[in-house]
Amino acid sequence: MIEFNHVSKLYKGVKALDDVSFTVGAGSVTAFLGPNGAGKSTALRILVGLSLATSGAATVFGRAYAELDGPAHRVGTMFDPNAYHPGRTGRETLTLGAMTLGLPRRRVDEVLDLVGLTHRESRRAVKGYSLGMRQRLGVAHALLGRPGVLVLDEPGNGLDPQGMRWMRGLLRGLADSGCAVLLSSHLLHEVEEVADRVVVVGHGRVLAQGTMDELNRGRNLEQTFFDLTAGADRSTA
Amino acid sequence: MSDHVVPVTEDGGAPVPMGEPTPFRRLVAVEARKLVDTRSGLILTAVLVGLTVASVVARGVVVGPRALTALGTAGIALGTLLPVLGILTVTAEWSHRTALTTFALEPRRVRVLAAKCLPPLIAAVAASLLALLAAVLVTAVVAEVRHVPATWDVSPLVLLGWTGVNVLVVAEGLALGMLLMNAPAAIVVCLAGPLMWGVVARLGAAGEAVAGWLDLNTTAAPLASAEMTGGDLARLVVSVAFWIAAPMAAGLARAVRREVT
Repeated sequence: MIEFNHVSKLYKGVKALDDVSFTVGAGSVTAFLGPNGAGKSTALRILVGLSLATSGAATVFGRAYAELDGPAHRVGTMFDPNAYHPGRTGRETLTLGAMTLGLPRRRVDEVLDLVGLTHRESRRAVKGYSLGMRQRLGVAHALLGRPGVLVLDEPGNGLDPQGMRWMRGLLRGLADSGCAVLLSSHLLHEVEEVADRVVVVGHGRVLAQGTMDELNRGRNLEQTFFDLTAGADRSTA
Repeated sequence: MSDHVVPVTEDGGAPVPMGEPTPFRRLVAVEARKLVDTRSGLILTAVLVGLTVASVVARGVVVGPRALTALGTAGIALGTLLPVLGILTVTAEWSHRTALTTFALEPRRVRVLAAKCLPPLIAAVAASLLALLAAVLVTAVVAEVRHVPATWDVSPLVLLGWTGVNVLVVAEGLALGMLLMNAPAAIVVCLAGPLMWGVVARLGAAGEAVAGWLDLNTTAAPLASAEMTGGDLARLVVSVAFWIAAPMAAGLARAVRREVT
């Protein structure tokens, strides 16, 4: 359902992405794994048209995101938990999204329940939210239109252990119901438990991809990750 | 794959829900709501209404029942606050990085920006009507209380022209905000403009000519007094092109190409 086809991105003379190709199928969780600055966020923004690829193309449902009719109904996205207006309440943030998508107001309550934000919390301004609460708000926002594809940038950041377990359960459940989930992360253990497939990137290039078992070959993911990214590590670059 | 049939996912799993493009009127409703759903937005609205009414009432009480004088006083507050409203409306998404969410919900950025421009423009008309209402009430009450005849010197053409000026100053704020994408910078340019033109106009004949063609405050003045000549109109068109049309076009082009981070 998601396809990256030889996507490259030159950013101020630097190759932020270099010939990135991979696909994400329905009913699976794919983790986009790599150290900070590897190009994960850039790739996800290109997929949604917030950033433009220098060459190659990224598509969802076989088309550029912007060319889908009402793309946010079909593709739920979360990019940055700090990109919500600090003066708006969580509920108001979701209400604006629901209005844009033409959804009934009760959908706001439904997604609040889905992510475990209480009604009391939802009436507080976002500036008073912890990072974990902002992540929940972001996931709630992504789920508004009941999308078949979810794109989440670092959804595990700032979550406490309970939050982590909740997020894993939510993403697994969505994938099992047929969703295609693409998430980025640098949290290896988090990814190991939830992802069906892993795409490892470093310095803008795909270093390896495959199922957990294919990549690990009996080792744990952390060792695999360090082996793969050793050449792309900042300290050795 | 057509959007009107429900495709089945590669593995034959769950059907893909169909979307519908967001209609423009819905975008306008959302953007109008964003003007007043934060404390800062509410405060700006309250200050705008409060200052407009207060200045009209104060002037009316001091100078007596002269409708046009009372109405004109509101122009001081509106001329300063309306551009700020326009600027804050179009720069907020960049300042708070909410553009990430907004442009993911609606990737057609020009439509989003167009929807953002409408509520402040409508607010300019509403604020003008509010000032008129306040001016009429104050003039009538002051005349009644002091037993002096009221001067009803607001002709429909003057009212229309004066409202037009208020719409133009909002549009100037919108345009500068769209071009600069930065509220403090746009506010400084907008408010420093009259000062700058004041200096330019005093730099001999050439300076006076330049200011006469490009200073929007000067070129729009005949509009408010309903004394527009052909030459005045040409000057107004040139200054509107320079301060509103050009920056707006450049700002739209910039927003469409900009990387949203």
